[in-house]
Amino acid sequence: MHIPDGFLDLPLCVLMYVVSSGFLAWAWRGVRRAFPRSSVPIIAVSSAFVFVSQMLNFPIVYGTSGHLVGGTFLAMLLGPHAAVISMSIVLLIQAIFFADGGILTFGANIFNMAVIGGLSFYMVKALSGHSLSQKWLSASVFMASWSSVVLGALACAIQIGISSTFASVGGVMVTVPAMLFWHMIIGIGEAAITTALVSQLSRISPAVLGGITMLRGLTHERRY
Amino acid sequence: MRGVTKAIILIIIGLIVLLPFASTHPDGLEKVAGSLGIEEPEPMWSGLMPDYTFLLTENPYMSKLISGLIGFFLVFSLVWGVGRVFARRNRV
Repeated sequence: MHIPDGFLDLPLCVLMYVVSSGFLAWAWRGVRRAFPRSSVPIIAVSSAFVFVSQMLNFPIVYGTSGHLVGGTFLAMLLGPHAAVISMSIVLLIQAIFFADGGILTFGANIFNMAVIGGLSFYMVKALSGHSLSQKWLSASVFMASWSSVVLGALACAIQIGISSTFASVGGVMVTVPAMLFWHMIIGIGEAAITTALVSQLSRISPAVLGGITMLRGLTHERRY
Repeated sequence: MRGVTKAIILIIIGLIVLLPFASTHPDGLEKVAGSLGIEEPEPMWSGLMPDYTFLLTENPYMSKLISGLIGFFLVFSLVWGVGRVFARRNRV
């Protein structure tokens, strides 16, 4: 879902930079408020994990593949603010060193993956409420991670659809259904992996799931 | 800290083992662009390891693995650095 340079018109790139900067500022304030220095290693290792897992594409149907985006996973580990920052740094390294995602489209990619991924925290929160049941939490994580991919794809489809490169082939009327089709399938992979990771971690090392601790309205004093 | 070291080792093992199985098919967006006949434009910046390739080796597996490991440590150190510089000292 990383948009390369050339797919988006310049004014839209600028707009997406502005929008994403706003969310980054919000995320940054949240991190400064809530995160102790001792949580730096866990943020670093989970960001690096997301980088690696984005390299491991899984095949879906008709010669297409998808990979874990990891936004909801990060949100369950780190909470929404740190998840946005963490994913943005992953996207930055990908754009600068690996040409995965463009430079001009960086703002859009932050919005589609980091912001929507991080904010899926609130979807888990809304779905799971204050229920402490593991099953219900897993179902909420599943739904939220699937939605984060589909909503990110929708945002991406609208961005490319209103830009000139895709205008000649039908614009949003074509890009939205096509992107939604593939990402509704890719999202199942995302949701399955995220749910498996979160439930494994909550079994072997529940203390690292700081996002879930926040979700349940408890403090997140943790030791690593 | 020991948990973090353990996680790093597990992630690297995971990458070494799973990389050969990673699909090389286009992802959702590439598929959509491809099926509409839109070529990906020449990138204005192709990065140091474009498409996760490490130029000093011919072997595609090693090339991808090395670039992946470099990326892993780049992300890890950048997040660590940013966190160290800015995270608040209080509430240990």
